[in-house]
Amino acid sequence: MGKSTVYALRNVSISINSGELLGIFGPSGAGKTTLLMIAGLLDTPSSGAVLFKHQVISAPGVELNHLRRFRRQHIGFVFQKPNLIPFLTAIGNVKIALLINDEDKKTATDRAQFLLEKFGIGDRADNLPVELSGGEQQRVAIARALANSPELIFADEPTANLDSSRGRQVMETFRQLADYERVSVCVVTHDTRSNDLFDRRIELCDGTIVNQ
Amino acid sequence: MNLALADIHHHFVRFLVTAIGIGALLTASIGMIGLYRGIVFEALLIINDVGADLWVVEGNRVGPFAERSEVSSLLDRRLEGVPGVSEVRRFIQYNQQYLIDGRRLQVAVTALDFPKDSGSWIPLIAGRHLYAGHYEAIADRSLGLQVGQQIRLGHDDYTIVGVAIGQVDIGGDGMLFVTIPDAQSLDSFVPSEAVLLRRLQHTIPNPNLLGYAVGNVAALMVTLSPGADSGQVQSRVRQWGDVTVLTRKDEEDVLVNGRLRRLKIQILAFVGMTLLVTTTVIALSIYTMTIEKTREIALLKLIGARDRLIVGMILQQALYIGVNSFVGALLTAHFIYPYFPRTVLILWPDVAFQALLVLIMCIVGSWFGIRRAMSVRAQAVLS
Repeated sequence: MGKSTVYALRNVSISINSGELLGIFGPSGAGKTTLLMIAGLLDTPSSGAVLFKHQVISAPGVELNHLRRFRRQHIGFVFQKPNLIPFLTAIGNVKIALLINDEDKKTATDRAQFLLEKFGIGDRADNLPVELSGGEQQRVAIARALANSPELIFADEPTANLDSSRGRQVMETFRQLADYERVSVCVVTHDTRSNDLFDRRIELCDGTIVNQ
Repeated sequence: MNLALADIHHHFVRFLVTAIGIGALLTASIGMIGLYRGIVFEALLIINDVGADLWVVEGNRVGPFAERSEVSSLLDRRLEGVPGVSEVRRFIQYNQQYLIDGRRLQVAVTALDFPKDSGSWIPLIAGRHLYAGHYEAIADRSLGLQVGQQIRLGHDDYTIVGVAIGQVDIGGDGMLFVTIPDAQSLDSFVPSEAVLLRRLQHTIPNPNLLGYAVGNVAALMVTLSPGADSGQVQSRVRQWGDVTVLTRKDEEDVLVNGRLRRLKIQILAFVGMTLLVTTTVIALSIYTMTIEKTREIALLKLIGARDRLIVGMILQQALYIGVNSFVGALLTAHFIYPYFPRTVLILWPDVAFQALLVLIMCIVGSWFGIRRAMSVRAQAVLS
């Protein structure tokens, strides 16, 4: 940054197994978001590589646009804010993820409806995000993240804006995904209320792993 | 699922207001081009409707419409003797203001060579053509005169025997058709005191008791015999040396490319400016809409949407705005321009050309928004 070099991450190597719920903890500035961006193929590392099933999929200099297709097919994202598209309904927000992955309209509609019903908001399918509560919006976001049956989900502070009860529900959803659908879930969080649900915890501080 | 339509539906009022604004600009450009077409149409009206093959005017002039022309009214006798000439009619037209029923009317006094020409070629919506050699008139509807109405022109009362439609001159003044002698009389009308003074000075020409007008007219209109060689007739008349012969095409050319040339350039310049403003407004609207969707665009990229989806969304929005604005403009033009004082002629080739321009403007206008969208990074969702 400017004339000085800032190491957001240094000598960080992390793996996540199939069906594992991994928690990444650390104070602000620890490098959690940077880790998420690199692992989620939103940025490339300045050194090292990102491997998926032992295949290198990201390395320094890889064109970011090429990684978009991989993200579309294999990775789902859940954020602190639901980040729903405000002019699409709940079902539209889930469908869009399927349609951009070249799914046909009927299959996309059916799958989206199924996911919304799975998360208990099937009757809110035709509501716009502004008509949904915070918890409902987050559930739509999770449904969207699962739309293409990804093998990997990255969640960035998914419970930060939710109360204890709803936050716990979200984490339990991740737990079920890991257990029953063998989805690997990596959660970046400050929230320690659901620590018991993680298979493994990693602590970052100043760009390095201090505890795992 | 159409992202562009979904966004427009969500921000419908903004889309509507934008389309109305752009539509107003397009209505203006349609109107300006239509106004030019209307002026040309009105200018060529009498040339096309009167049915003359050749116009004989004063030598070294290109009258009687583009500039003033004066020839002897007896010239028709000379022309009738030229082989190939079927009919010759005399022509006068000038503009005058009259006080009728307490209002000032700007009138294009147009003379018919009665009885050869009773004005049968004039499209009437009421009344009849001329039956008498004096004191009858046919008025264009724009003058607001009625059949049977008596009006005072000069020293005499005239009866409106017919009302015509669409008969206006190049300046938009409604035509009042009278006979040649009446037109000459009205053109030389002076107050009674001036008549007395001129008589003292012996400047008034002797009146023609047979009713055949002497004096000058603006032009002679020649109708050729079937199969006659126009070039030969023209050549023969030109040899006289004191007149100029113009074909119908020459008259059109003199008007459109001569007298109306500056107006054409002026109107085209205004249309160009209006379309430039329209393109800028479209570009600004689309750019603003794109800026407001930065987060959504970042999200779409994050979940793996291809660039073409995002480009398509922006381009479609620009096209929806453009198409709806243009359709609105056409509808508005259709309903309001008939009430304008001058003819606004909306022709399909002009509409098609402007539609193509709108398409290009939308594509160009969306470029800024697309460029902005392409610079958005997926990571922006995380910020």
